Amino acid sequence: MNGPVGMLIDVTRCKGCERCVEACKQVNHLGPDQPRRWQRRIDDLSSTRFTTLDNVSDERSVRVLCRHCVEPACVSACIVGALQKTPIGAVTYDVDRCIGCRYCMMACPYGIPRYAWANATPQVRKCTLCYPRISQGQLPACVEACPYDALSFGTRDEMLAEGHDRILREPGRYLPRVWGENEIGGTSVLYVSDISLDFLAFKPDMGDRPLPALTWEALSKVPPIVAGGATLLTGIWWVIQRRMKLQADGSEPEDEAPGEHGGES
Amino acid sequence: MRAIRLKTVLWFLVGILGTVTVARFLKGLGATTALTDATPWGLWIAFDVVSGVALAAGGFVVAAIVYIFGQEKYHQFARPAILTAFLGYLAVATGLLYDLGIPLHIWHPLVYRQPHSVLFEVAMCVMLYLTVLFLEFSPAILEHPRLQFPVIQRIHAVLKRLTIPLVIAGIVLSTLHQSSLGSLFLIAPYRVHPLWYSPLIWVLFFLSAAGLGRAVVIVETLFSDWYLSRRPPVELLGRLGLGASALLWVYLALRLGDIVLSHRAAGVTLSDPLLWVFLAEVGITVSAAVLLLIPRVRYSVWGLTVSASLAILGVLGYRFNVTIVAFYRPADMPYFPSLSELMVSVGLVAGCVLLFLFFIENLNVLPKEADEEHAPPSRRPTDTISPYMVRPVFTTWLAPLRNYSLAAAAGAALALALIANGIRTESMNRQTPVSPPLQIATSTTLPVSSPLESLLAPIRKRSGSPSWMVFDANRDGRVVIFDHDEHAHRLGGNAACGQCHHAELPFHLETPCSDCHRDLYLSTDLFHHAGHVAKLGGDGSCIQCHTDESSVKTRATSTACRTCHASQWRQTQYVSFKSDVDSGRAPAYEDALHALCRNCHLKKAGQEGVRKDLGECRTCHHEVPASYLQVLGPYAGRGALK
Repeated sequence: MNGPVGMLIDVTRCKGCERCVEACKQVNHLGPDQPRRWQRRIDDLSSTRFTTLDNVSDERSVRVLCRHCVEPACVSACIVGALQKTPIGAVTYDVDRCIGCRYCMMACPYGIPRYAWANATPQVRKCTLCYPRISQGQLPACVEACPYDALSFGTRDEMLAEGHDRILREPGRYLPRVWGENEIGGTSVLYVSDISLDFLAFKPDMGDRPLPALTWEALSKVPPIVAGGATLLTGIWWVIQRRMKLQADGSEPEDEAPGEHGGES
Repeated sequence: MRAIRLKTVLWFLVGILGTVTVARFLKGLGATTALTDATPWGLWIAFDVVSGVALAAGGFVVAAIVYIFGQEKYHQFARPAILTAFLGYLAVATGLLYDLGIPLHIWHPLVYRQPHSVLFEVAMCVMLYLTVLFLEFSPAILEHPRLQFPVIQRIHAVLKRLTIPLVIAGIVLSTLHQSSLGSLFLIAPYRVHPLWYSPLIWVLFFLSAAGLGRAVVIVETLFSDWYLSRRPPVELLGRLGLGASALLWVYLALRLGDIVLSHRAAGVTLSDPLLWVFLAEVGITVSAAVLLLIPRVRYSVWGLTVSASLAILGVLGYRFNVTIVAFYRPADMPYFPSLSELMVSVGLVAGCVLLFLFFIENLNVLPKEADEEHAPPSRRPTDTISPYMVRPVFTTWLAPLRNYSLAAAAGAALALALIANGIRTESMNRQTPVSPPLQIATSTTLPVSSPLESLLAPIRKRSGSPSWMVFDANRDGRVVIFDHDEHAHRLGGNAACGQCHHAELPFHLETPCSDCHRDLYLSTDLFHHAGHVAKLGGDGSCIQCHTDESSVKTRATSTACRTCHASQWRQTQYVSFKSDVDSGRAPAYEDALHALCRNCHLKKAGQEGVRKDLGECRTCHHEVPASYLQVLGPYAGRGALK
């Protein structure tokens, strides 16, 4: 395949049969769902369920899964690089690196990563876009399982084009937008739909700016702060030492020691 | 006496910490914390780490004042402040071990570097600064009379000469990570409430930490002087307080100015409870900043205590709100720390205070008393025999130790009693969709003539003893019969109490039914699409339900169930409960679903062309172990509605 991959989910074609969920559970060896106190619903995303269907007011089933952002907040947040954006486009997780800080869960704008809280050495669990499968040229398990052709898989560009194409062909059937095209820098999992999918994110209208840029703005100031701060502090120390020494020599008795002004701020 | 009482309490808290520590590392985060997927960071991050680092800001603040700005008169604060900072960071590192999912991997950031992560920068700075603080404080250790060897003296001299570079490194590192703790939240603009989110949050974190650092030095000096019964240097502390006030004003001005000028919080209305949290938090900080401006308050021990404590409260409130309160989570997944979380945070503070006391008693940390004529010559508290103690068997200097170990053991035992149930069962309730029981009738209070009696008879027969209760949790006049003993038996007999009662949460009395029977509160979709397709004739049969070919094939556009299943449909509901309506018993979910399907299944099972096992539980409750049938609905997880 040429370039990063993408998945297109056509909400209007989904019947809610949950074959995708079943296939996902099978491929990832997730086992049955266990009711736990931290789950709102038994079929919410959980450490044993990487994808689920969100039924919106009984009209539509909307698949929820990791969006595999083009510039993922979780990857930029991860302190040890346990989460990686692979060149093929999938965001993968490596438990051997993970320290369990859960900053990825704080950072994700779609609230996707789940934690295996019940385990003594818990892992972050989420969809990997079937990375082991797609890197061997296979389809993700959910795409393969869908009997209604609601899921398509290809390069991200193809999927974007396909999404726009469907909207053009049947403008009455879809809202004129491919979800995941641009918001927060775009996602690999794209949606076309006839209902608004804003509920998938914490806030609608997240803007097109990738989230990692927000922290990078502050982080990029680290080297200047180190260099500038150290120089400034050394300078202040040297000047004040010198003044105190001069004062001790008794040259200028009226020159008071520097007062409260300044401070360390 | 003061020393012994204080230390006994502290050791008690450390004892509690001991038990919880064992539970945490044996049983994991899920069993000991109230954290959820919606609240990945709870009390341990908000207090032990984010607030802990802020509380340890006194170290770099005082180091800057004394060593860089040459304010020699504050020199007496330097060592205790650096000690406090060192212990504070030690507590941060320890607290982090509790919170990390895989604490054995704590060293990974050293190897797998990820410079794009704010957390990576924080981790590096904290680690380096902990080292710097250790080096800054180590002269105090090396000055101990028992360590007077030439080699150690040489090391001491080298460290002394390194003071200024170490101080500068410490200030730079502190500046970086104090502010970066704020930058951590830049990544979540959609979750942090607009009254707290700001692109300038890292500046605000730094400024408030610098103000807080001075307040902490004030409180810590007042505390150690109270402990040693000495007169605190009120004049100097007041001047520190004035500086703290100035910094807090800058912080407040920037924070409020940023909110006003950016219009970020324009959509916040009076009905938003977080607005009031915001006002309370800022109000506390403002009151501290105002109080410290008043000379009469600033130069009195009580005034300083109150105002500096308020400043600490306000700034820690900021940290808490950003991390927990103002961080978005779905309303039905609230967070309140579990007892274990609270006990770890309190225990770590107690441990730090004990270490602090140990150091100020045994090392040259605090200034000499010589300049204080009022203080009697020997007021240093030495631990003496306590009247609370069991008869001293040991020599006198061992006696107080025994006292403390008793306190610690008592704490450990208490903690075990408090959390054992919750940890064993992991059943901590987070949501209560029903109102609490209005009327709990037991078998002794319910009149015998009640129509419920006929329903209860079989239960009585089975259990032998009257064990049932009647809940009208929805307050709609319909009751639910709850067989207490049957539940206890099913959940594991006498050991099972904790699964519903006093599960490990503060103020927790009983678990609502919904916690286990959660499917009772969900409308569950039983429609089996594939089954219908097969029955109706495969791929060509779509049109039978999705009659309108032009519209999208969804539930909304398809034929209603009752069109075909007319015989099963009754007015407004699918199942009637004639007999139960009379008795006052609420129709149960099980009744409804079984009436909908099971009766017919049982009848048709084995008939021509119908599978034999149609009437068996597993036909519908497939993929579910029999033990889960109590808590899961059919097609577990299939299309439950919001």
